[in-house]
Amino acid sequence: MPFRRSLCTQAAARHRRRIQWPVKQVTKSNFSEALAEIKACILNSDYVAVSFKQTGGHSAPWHKILPIDTAETAYFKAKHAAERFQILQFAVCPFSVKASKLIAHPYNFHLFPRDELKVGMPSYSFSCQSSYLTAMAQEGFDFNACIYNGISYLSKAQESATNVQIGHLSPSSCTVHSSSVHSVADSLFTERIRSRVKNWIRACKDSNKTEDALISSLRKLISGSEVYGSRPSLNIDVCSECQIKLALETLKEFVDVVPLQLPKRGAGVQAVRAVLTSSQEDKNLLEKELQHMEQEQRERVLGFREVIDLISTSQRPVVVHNSLNDFAFIHSKFLAPLPLTMDEFRSSLHLIFPHILDVNHLMKEIGPFEKMNNMPAAISYLERRFSGSIDMDISSQADTDKVNIHGHNVLRVCHLFVKLCSILKISPEVPEDGQSHLSPSLPRHSNIFNPCSSNSTNPIEDDVRIWTGNSRTISINNLVFLWGFESGISARSLKDLLCDTHDVFSEEFDVRMLDRTCAVVVFWTPGFAECFLRIIDSGEIISTKLTGLISGGLKAAGYETYKRVCESGLRKSDLADCLDQAMDETEILSGTVKSQQEQPVIYWNNDEMINLNDL
Amino acid sequence: MKRSYLVRALTRTRNRTSLLTRSLCSSASQPSGADVALKNVTKSNFEPALAELRHHVREADFVAVDLEMTGVTSAPWRESFEFDRSDIQYLKIKDSAEKFAVVQFGVCPFRWDPHSRSFVAHPHNFYIFPRQEIVGDGLSYEFLCQTSSLEFLAKYQFDFNACVYEGISYLSRSQEEEALRRLDSLYKDDSSNASSNFRNGVETQLISMADILFAERMKNMVSEWRAGLLREGGGGHEIQGNLNGMSQKFQTTFFHMHPALVVNGLTSRQLRLIKLITEKHFQDLAYVYVTGETSSRQPLIVYTDSTTDRESLMREVKACQRKEAETKIKAAIGFRQVIDLLSSERKLIVGHNCFLDLAHVYNKFIAPLPSTAEEFVSAFQTYFPHVIDTKVLLNLDDALLRIVGKGGTSLSKAFGLLCRPIAPSSSSTVLAGKPRVIVEVEVDDQRFPNWNSGAKHEAGYDAFMTGCVFSQACLHLGIDFSSHAAAVDLVHNEKLQKYINHLYLSWVNGDIIDLKTGKGAAESLGSTSVKRHHPKIVFSNMILLWGLPSKLRGKDIKDCFCQVFGRGSITSIYHLDETAALVQFSKAELVSDFLILKDTLGRDNDPISVLHPLSRIFESGCVRAASYETYKEICSSPVSELLFTDQAKAVGINWNTRLVEQAIGSENQDDETCEKERKINAIPICQDQGKTSPGTSVSDTQSSCHFPTDELVDSFYPSEAQMSK
Repeated sequence: MPFRRSLCTQAAARHRRRIQWPVKQVTKSNFSEALAEIKACILNSDYVAVSFKQTGGHSAPWHKILPIDTAETAYFKAKHAAERFQILQFAVCPFSVKASKLIAHPYNFHLFPRDELKVGMPSYSFSCQSSYLTAMAQEGFDFNACIYNGISYLSKAQESATNVQIGHLSPSSCTVHSSSVHSVADSLFTERIRSRVKNWIRACKDSNKTEDALISSLRKLISGSEVYGSRPSLNIDVCSECQIKLALETLKEFVDVVPLQLPKRGAGVQAVRAVLTSSQEDKNLLEKELQHMEQEQRERVLGFREVIDLISTSQRPVVVHNSLNDFAFIHSKFLAPLPLTMDEFRSSLHLIFPHILDVNHLMKEIGPFEKMNNMPAAISYLERRFSGSIDMDISSQADTDKVNIHGHNVLRVCHLFVKLCSILKISPEVPEDGQSHLSPSLPRHSNIFNPCSSNSTNPIEDDVRIWTGNSRTISINNLVFLWGFESGISARSLKDLLCDTHDVFSEEFDVRMLDRTCAVVVFWTPGFAECFLRIIDSGEIISTKLTGLISGGLKAAGYETYKRVCESGLRKSDLADCLDQAMDETEILSGTVKSQQEQPVIYWNNDEMINLNDL
Repeated sequence: MKRSYLVRALTRTRNRTSLLTRSLCSSASQPSGADVALKNVTKSNFEPALAELRHHVREADFVAVDLEMTGVTSAPWRESFEFDRSDIQYLKIKDSAEKFAVVQFGVCPFRWDPHSRSFVAHPHNFYIFPRQEIVGDGLSYEFLCQTSSLEFLAKYQFDFNACVYEGISYLSRSQEEEALRRLDSLYKDDSSNASSNFRNGVETQLISMADILFAERMKNMVSEWRAGLLREGGGGHEIQGNLNGMSQKFQTTFFHMHPALVVNGLTSRQLRLIKLITEKHFQDLAYVYVTGETSSRQPLIVYTDSTTDRESLMREVKACQRKEAETKIKAAIGFRQVIDLLSSERKLIVGHNCFLDLAHVYNKFIAPLPSTAEEFVSAFQTYFPHVIDTKVLLNLDDALLRIVGKGGTSLSKAFGLLCRPIAPSSSSTVLAGKPRVIVEVEVDDQRFPNWNSGAKHEAGYDAFMTGCVFSQACLHLGIDFSSHAAAVDLVHNEKLQKYINHLYLSWVNGDIIDLKTGKGAAESLGSTSVKRHHPKIVFSNMILLWGLPSKLRGKDIKDCFCQVFGRGSITSIYHLDETAALVQFSKAELVSDFLILKDTLGRDNDPISVLHPLSRIFESGCVRAASYETYKEICSSPVSELLFTDQAKAVGINWNTRLVEQAIGSENQDDETCEKERKINAIPICQDQGKTSPGTSVSDTQSSCHFPTDELVDSFYPSEAQMSK
């Protein structure tokens, strides 16, 4: 039933918590039904918004994507999280904007990586952070429903690895290429099948007449006849790909026979089964049945992946809130293991999802905005600052009397997107010429991955901003990572400590703590970072104060080491330990030449964007 | 859960009727336990349940325990294999206990009641969850879930919601100490303000125009309030005037006999600005952040008479905050109180195949697990001096083993066979006519003689079953409970001595560990039932191969090796997973011969190397080889990649072949000399090629290929492994 609610009024904003938007909740039991519905919805909509709940984020403060991260290191961090944590619910909302009205069809899928095929897939194990689970519990998440009835899935890569032939049932999927060259053995094989099938068909037709039960069963035994459902069937053993083709070809000659391929355990085809139908209608009926079975099998095996495939094939622009994190998860769970580099990731993703729109990025177009990760706050901020209301039309088959508290975020993403479009004077309405899936003004906003979408410039959970509004950029060459000092020291004390130890600290520099064991020093004068690292390396120390620090365990490394730490998978919780380990490994591999190409520039403020279209 | 109870109730009713027909019920008048579930304990009823449990444990003769976890193995190759040396077995258990969470903890104290001549059991089922109750140093609690284990728990109707929503949280002893230490360092430094700890030490600065305006306004307002106080002699003054809309946010109150201003409804940034101006401009005002009567923390601006008064006030506030933080830490101990109770009462702990359970107990409630089994057991014994494992008991006592049979030592089977009147669906006639121990169950002060309303794989019920099996086993061992007026001293009972503190380190290869020494104990127990592997596994004769192509079968590897080293040179081949295998040579020298040969083949690219029989295995170029010690090194890593080859890469083993001089000596797996290996720095490059030529005759050791992966197909699915426990 269609459901109307205006979101823009003050009252609505104040009582947002109490609003129960009707979001259709989908579990294993109603998945097929929902799949058919959402397919229609996606095709009738202009955009698809997605949002999900994962079991964890970052296990240590520095695992979070920080302003000092380049696109590459941000990707490594997102990759690390996506590989370990699991998605337990995934909300999909196809929507359109018609006459400034948002028409949304929200669905919330409960997922669980159940091993439906008993092959150790989709996921052997996954990590959970108790804080994330507790937060989900506070929102009333039903863990029993999720684990008992969650929908499973297989990624594209896993699907091809399992060798499960999903399309084997339907005869239409058995593409037979008639090969003209037949060997003697082949013709013998086909001839034998032909005569066997002929006899079998005759026997089956004869048995319609009244016959002794014993004789008929004996006859069946001899001809190898079996029963497929209510219809008689015959199994033809095959032992090669070629024989399957021959058997299928031969069976084509018989009008009433529908061929099926029986899968072997593991992979391949064990036999071809001929099913005898009584008439043309009966044959059509059987074929329909088989198609239905194939669809069911797909649903069982691919599970939620079907929805991802639907979104992908529809080519609709996908609207998300945090594209790097979200698509790292989507890629790793539903497509394939995440590639080693950001570039490969981008190109791999581009093939599947050509248009990705990030509301976080759109939000930055308006200006620096403090709490981007908190969507209700973002919405109310925009509502306050920019007038103009958005009508939301939510059509859903969900039972309205049921409490549907899950999957609301996806509606917020839709809402935020439309609001931002109206503020940015972008028309989200798709022209009805059917030429493009995207409004003409949107492409320049699509496919932008913003690595620093984390909600603060400050690595430690605190809203102190050191360089608020400062978009001063600094090359990563000017950053030096320092560790091995007293644990828990403040940035200020560390800065004071360093201040007069060496000439390099005479010019402007800044210190920022990354976690309690490690700090980053920013040398605003080019070349000083390199100089400082050289001094530490060579040991030619001029000041006694610095000698004291170094003998106390102080260590330093450049950005390369940090990058390697991120690349190797953030194994430890203290950054200092990781850097130490990376340094040790470098010493071992000291023979290898450090190829140092042009250094990317990172922005000290979180404004770095990578444009997918620049590929 | 509701549905499952219904099913359970139905089966129980059926059982009850059958029991009645057998007229085994001692008294029909007593209430039947059919509809009483065992005691489930969550956050909400933890305190009273603990008080009750304290009493029961104190009176108990022994306490049975059982745990349910979120998983068992973090990767397929982390499963227990027959070719795992005992130190590797420990490393695998350590990895499991460190990664997975305990979600349910069953505790069941058993007390001998001389009047009713029966045991009284009090099964408790604690839901626990590693909720983070105190803010640590930015690290969040994380645990692994094995998908198949969750499915397994779901199959037995485990209530995950009860666990996450209502589970009791806990702090280990070391976590508590760490938290208190952190608190200490926080409050130690008198000059630093408690609320500004762990910041970047950056002062709030007035940056934007809005900040400056706000600060100015606040300054005026605070000075106005202060002036008002001084004028009127304190109290009763409300701010009025030009601060429209602000007045509702500021109220005068009293704090420790001082007039104070409550600052409500401001953002944290605004509060910091207020703090800044208070400290900067008002000598006699103090900004404090305290827990009010309503238990929510609120910021206050307090008026003080003098500097000393101000300082003493700040000290007082700080002491309060510290006390509060300490109380919070104490409260966070949660479920560990149960462990502390079991430990301090020094009762006999009974478990079923419980070494992993004990490792979890130590890791979750005491301290991080030490790196060796010896260190672990000696540390563990100081907390739990007496542990008995019913699986060991059933397997090592011949009489008991005859009753339950080889396949009957899993908990539910043993329970069915030994504790027939309690357990339903028992068809065994072995015990007919034999005496048995009566176990009565007490739930919430109600006694049930034939209680059986638990569900399999519910920790509380499993603990109850374990205790029942133990009490029956004791009877079979000849321990007569009824002849004693008082309780039997089980801990010092001579008939149990040889089983106490003996646990299976690994059930797969039957290795038993003695908790008192940390050494293997199978030999000393003189058991016949311990699985003896044939051919004997000799670790020093083994090499580790990884990076193997997945199509390569054990037979192919064996054929290649036999072509080079001669027939019979390979004793057996064990697959770790599809990418890695262990190859056992018949002679220890062959290990170093092979590694040198492999190294040479890897370096040269001449036709001889290409045509070498071994190149069939090495052709992919990613096959690596090393001695058995490397296997240990890889197992000891905290990383857990799904495939062994990826794991080796992640551990950082990049070399192609590690050459090791063979430590030839004792073939005894328990001998320590075998574990010590001497590495040589200089590798002799020129080896006698004759040694490695195919013609060398090798002793006629019986050779065979073993594929533990096939043999242990059950344990591949941990759910099955759990079930078989």
